[in-house]
Amino acid sequence: MPFLELDVLNAPDRSILGIDLGTTYSLVALWQDGRPTILRPRGRDDGRIPSALHFPASGAPLVGWPARERAVSEPGRTLLSIKRLMGRGLADARADLALVPFPASENERGVIQLEAGGRRWTPQELSARILEEVWRTASEALGSPAPRRAVITVPAYFDEPQRAATRDAARLAGLDVVRIVNEPTAASLAYGLDRRKQGTVAVYDFGGGTFDVSLLAIEDGVFRVLSTAGDTHLGGDDLDRALVALALEEARPAPELAGDPAFLQGLRLAAERCKLALSSAPEAELRLAVPERGFLWKRNVTRAEFERRIAVHLERTLDCCRRAMHDAGLAPAAIDEVVLVGGSTRIPAVRAAVERLFGRKPHCELNPDEVVALGAAVQGHVLGGGTRELLLLDVTPLSLGLETMGGAVTKIIARNAPIPSQATETFTTYADNQTGIEFHVVQGERELAADCRTLGRFKLSGIPPMPAGMARIAVRFALDADGLLAVTAREQSTGVTTSIEIQPMHGLTDAEVEAMLASSLTHARADFDASRRANLLVELGTMQRAIEKNLPLARERLDRETRLELEEALAGARAAESVHEVGAVQKLRDRLEQAALPLAALLMDDVARGALQGKNLSEV
Amino acid sequence: MSAPAPCPHCGAPLASALVCEACGELLEVGTPPTPFAVFGLEPSFELDLAALQKRRLALARRLHPDFHGTADAETRRLAEDSSAALNQAHATLSDEFRRADWLVTHLGGPREQEERGMPAVFLQEVLEWNEAIAEARLGGTNAALAGLQRTLEEERARVRTSLRAELVPLTPEAARLRRARQNLNSLRYLERALGQLGELALAPRPS
Repeated sequence: MPFLELDVLNAPDRSILGIDLGTTYSLVALWQDGRPTILRPRGRDDGRIPSALHFPASGAPLVGWPARERAVSEPGRTLLSIKRLMGRGLADARADLALVPFPASENERGVIQLEAGGRRWTPQELSARILEEVWRTASEALGSPAPRRAVITVPAYFDEPQRAATRDAARLAGLDVVRIVNEPTAASLAYGLDRRKQGTVAVYDFGGGTFDVSLLAIEDGVFRVLSTAGDTHLGGDDLDRALVALALEEARPAPELAGDPAFLQGLRLAAERCKLALSSAPEAELRLAVPERGFLWKRNVTRAEFERRIAVHLERTLDCCRRAMHDAGLAPAAIDEVVLVGGSTRIPAVRAAVERLFGRKPHCELNPDEVVALGAAVQGHVLGGGTRELLLLDVTPLSLGLETMGGAVTKIIARNAPIPSQATETFTTYADNQTGIEFHVVQGERELAADCRTLGRFKLSGIPPMPAGMARIAVRFALDADGLLAVTAREQSTGVTTSIEIQPMHGLTDAEVEAMLASSLTHARADFDASRRANLLVELGTMQRAIEKNLPLARERLDRETRLELEEALAGARAAESVHEVGAVQKLRDRLEQAALPLAALLMDDVARGALQGKNLSEV
Repeated sequence: MSAPAPCPHCGAPLASALVCEACGELLEVGTPPTPFAVFGLEPSFELDLAALQKRRLALARRLHPDFHGTADAETRRLAEDSSAALNQAHATLSDEFRRADWLVTHLGGPREQEERGMPAVFLQEVLEWNEAIAEARLGGTNAALAGLQRTLEEERARVRTSLRAELVPLTPEAARLRRARQNLNSLRYLERALGQLGELALAPRPS
């Protein structure tokens, strides 16, 4: 069956990766043979890829396991938990930056920049490095270039700049983000798949850096989020820090040591080891040795002691659960099932607290580290057109609005509103002949704009002069299915329309992303480009051979224009070996794929006709 | 109900202003359809909410951007817009207050700010409740809080009953619409007050 080989033309298009870009670990999964599968790094049973970067004295940064392994020996050159800096400014991230052993600054729009390995990096670029490693891992596991299209998960409580930063990181990594999905929602999808249950589910997602709780109603394959609550700065990292604080109190290192990010990061890793041990043992050692600084300290920590120290964090997670139930109008008794997600839910005290609050034993059949990536792969399967049986209906975690006179906020889209969501509010001028009006777009629940998160400011100008209160300026908020916002404004009364897109605060502009892509393509990412180019060439070769083999079967039935285009695209593909620029190779690949579509369609018809031949109507 | 418009793509009668459920085509809508038109319903205050939710999920299965992930950019935009319209229509219809608000405005009744009239008795009560909430905020007992909540809920039930009387059956009679708006304004106050009490109950309290 020669036509089946043409499947390679369609296969890369249909499948969509599911990526869990986590604070401490990232995972990638793909829908294969009727179920989602974790794509594991070569030689490991563990599907996790550490979200860690290591900057050696010279050469390109290391990512993933090699970086994580050096975090202990060389904490001063290793970057962990970059996710906590995504979409944040310096002031927001002070506590996290204390553990970052690299100088940090901020550009004029509040984007953090870290100086490492002889250059400046935005969190988006650093996360892009991790995503590249994730993609490489996926390609390795598959034995061929992984799909470039991906579903990426984010904490449900991520605000708009954090989501936009994630999307930009993916773009910088050469990925096409088909959908941004909330982590707890993705997890529910992975669970719901096996069970096909109806009812109300609470997903308690306590990860490395963030906490989310989402309540969902599941019926007939529709996963409808009722409410969500959380804290993007509450995770396993904070539990580690509880032990770091204990060590600092008791060990009393010299002030210059205690203020050294590398020392603190080393201590944090020691705290993490102790925490992990305490999940299975009643007592564990907390130990840190820095011989070259003359520091050696150890002591045993009991589980009870650890639980006392993290009680305040657990209580914060329970407060979020109560708020989510309040918003959904549900009592604990109305919740049919509770699902645990995230590595921190391995802690016995966490499980016990959840069980007490909801009054039922939580589910933990699936690996809490893997369930989000699995769910993302399920969503990828849906988005690729694989099934219409499942549908996610998600909500926005935080209200969106505009600052009005006096610094108050007018909410345009309320929290827990289902997305996509669009709303328009009309404003007017307050002075005669006012030709411009400034808008301050904010996100958050507080009543004053100053207490909410600034998403951006924009000015609508070109309003024709008219008396105060006559202009009608319609401001339209459009929140898409990814939770990303577009704001436009129009003056309506005169038919003069002006529309302006918002400039992101704590985020990158499209132009900046393009510039980063361009510079990384020519310079720092030469290594990555080489592998991407190689992968593209392999793909091109496979496509080219399939087309060459099948073209004779259908050449006469293709119209002249299609045939010419296909032959030109083929000629381009044959010459690809001599093309060095990766973008150009990508273009050759894309062109060939496009040009071959009519041929593929013809051959598919042949297959269908062939299958029908020699059969009478009743057999069909 | 008037005869439904035919689908411009396949000619089948349309049961929603957003999508043709016969051929699956998303419909380009010039002026935004009314929330009732989205669901193919005649305006009415009385609504079967379970059926509405079922219908919403069925329409979401047609419209949601997830199911148009591989379509062209124009279709994807249409899917975003139509899904947002569906969500908004469902939010308006599934909430009794918003549904009534929409109906009163749609039938030419007074808007929220246009109707200032409020029974004196109710205004007197509002003053008392405000005082009680302020006290609770300063550290009232849980029992006092619960008592106040019960009073407000009883009042809410009473106002809802009289709102229903004004809107069922639905007529464009000015006096009824005006009284309905008054009821809505009372309800808005009561909901806000109950919301504040709810927040108080959630906040950590000195025991």
